[in-house]
Amino acid sequence: MINLRDKGAEFWERSNRPVRVLTVFAIMAVVAALPYAGNTFLQTPVAAFDAVLVYPMGMFILMALGLNVVVGKSGMLDLGYVAFFAVGAYTMAILGTRTGLNTWEIMPIGIAAAMFAGVLLAIPTLRLRGDYLAIVTLGFGEIVRVSALNTEAIGGALGIAGVPFPPGLGFEYQLLDQKYFYWTILVMILLVIWVIRRLTVRRPGRAWESIRQDEDAAELMGVSTYKYKIWAFVFGAAIGGGAGVFYASRSMVIAPDNFTLNTSILILACVVFGGMGNIWGVIVGATILGYLPDRFRFLSDARLLLFGLVLVVFMNLRPEGILPRKKREKAIVKKGSGASL
Amino acid sequence: MSKTILNLKDLTIKFGGVTALNSVNLELKEGEILALIGPNGAGKTTVFNLITGVYKPTSGNVFLGDLAIDGKKRHHITKLGIARTFQNIRLFGDMTTLENVITGTDVRNKVGLIGSMFGTPRSRREEKASIAKAYEILKFIGIDEYADRLAKNLPYGVQRRLEIARALGTEPKILLLDEPAAGFNPQEKVDLAAIIKKIRDAGYTILLIEHDMSLIMGISDRVVVLDFGQKIADDLPSVVQNDPQVIAAYLGVPADAS
Repeated sequence: MINLRDKGAEFWERSNRPVRVLTVFAIMAVVAALPYAGNTFLQTPVAAFDAVLVYPMGMFILMALGLNVVVGKSGMLDLGYVAFFAVGAYTMAILGTRTGLNTWEIMPIGIAAAMFAGVLLAIPTLRLRGDYLAIVTLGFGEIVRVSALNTEAIGGALGIAGVPFPPGLGFEYQLLDQKYFYWTILVMILLVIWVIRRLTVRRPGRAWESIRQDEDAAELMGVSTYKYKIWAFVFGAAIGGGAGVFYASRSMVIAPDNFTLNTSILILACVVFGGMGNIWGVIVGATILGYLPDRFRFLSDARLLLFGLVLVVFMNLRPEGILPRKKREKAIVKKGSGASL
Repeated sequence: MSKTILNLKDLTIKFGGVTALNSVNLELKEGEILALIGPNGAGKTTVFNLITGVYKPTSGNVFLGDLAIDGKKRHHITKLGIARTFQNIRLFGDMTTLENVITGTDVRNKVGLIGSMFGTPRSRREEKASIAKAYEILKFIGIDEYADRLAKNLPYGVQRRLEIARALGTEPKILLLDEPAAGFNPQEKVDLAAIIKKIRDAGYTILLIEHDMSLIMGISDRVVVLDFGQKIADDLPSVVQNDPQVIAAYLGVPADAS
């Protein structure tokens, strides 16, 4: 089987700067033009294509990138990632309906709230490893959902309605034409990619990698494993929280049902399906898994069966994901020239 | 060659009912190569695990200079200047050779997550310095031609030497080597002996676990022998070699000797 990741990386390495810049801009242009591709074969039969681009696709990519730092980079299995998404969404919904703050003002508050939830979860649980950590995080995800379900002050099972749209920035966010939502989430995704790439090639990335590969050896080589595990969790939580704020503001209504274990599993599936530890793989994985169920909605009940089948077949063909983590004999750091970013 | 740099005092550790080490005293002098030998199960690696904080002693203390380090966190002990290699190789296989060593050098870096994220001048400076230092260490150990290879794909002998390089990356005062010559052929052992001497001459103090007697006799300044968790000898290599108690521990005592 051809290794797409290596082909891409080889192309990148062989190209000079103008070619690289041109490639990036070409890809960006195609991606940004997607909302106008609604009348082609890409069209989703039931939901509007531009809405599908925002949720699930854009949201999934954003969350999968955040979860990838925890699961793919640091090797900690988190089955309750949706909790941070929920914390962000509820922060937006509560503050958006009860105060005069707008989405952009709530964004940092929502991210901070999610990070705080991340610390709360991380401090007692990160002494656990592997399966045990997975079970505890799964429990945490459910605790957050069930708490929301049973707290009448935040709407109980009905959730919160009337969450305001983000204020326009020289344009108006619209329900029927979601391209501005899409472009906003693109900017968020780019920002997250940029930050993750910086961290990956520097000290935190090495610390996370070493923890994933051999936690005891990492600790004995001087890596403060506990600290970096908390950072990975909190960083992932921040991205989940930011996605949650934006999700609530776009959907206008949120309810505990939006934040089930299913979502956590699906985001994890995006990470594993795309290629754990590789941001490009994760993006491809989230794009496909976000898109397919809506594309095949005409099959109605059979669509989830087909979706499951695609997953099973693909994971058998490419057990390490579509674009696996680096396999090549090439350092991410160059001789004496400093990090590549 | 006079100052005591590491001092184990009455070190005892019990696992359930088994006393793995019984009141062991050991002094490591600055700049020496001290070999720790003994039959399988004598407690050699346990000594390493106690020094590096993997285990806490049941009683007794480990002093680095004047500072008691038993009970401190493992990464903190590394930062204080003790680095080790592992008997069964434990490299970060998915990282390149160079990255493995840089991960070691990170313990001397001060930049945190936020600094790395924003690419502060200090973060750039430290990254650059770490890469340069890691290259230097690879050259020093003689494996710089493998810098860009993934650790898991390296030949066995290179992996063993990379373990040493990664430990040196942490800028230790004391280097603990756990059977660095395991699985080596005679020529590789000779090369390794030269490297160990070179490291000592560069100003490090070395505590070495090894089974190969010719290697030990060739490079160590002093030999400590453990048997069933007890220290049974502590002397010059030539003296230890002829110590009847040591010979008995290794070969057993003939039935008619007593």
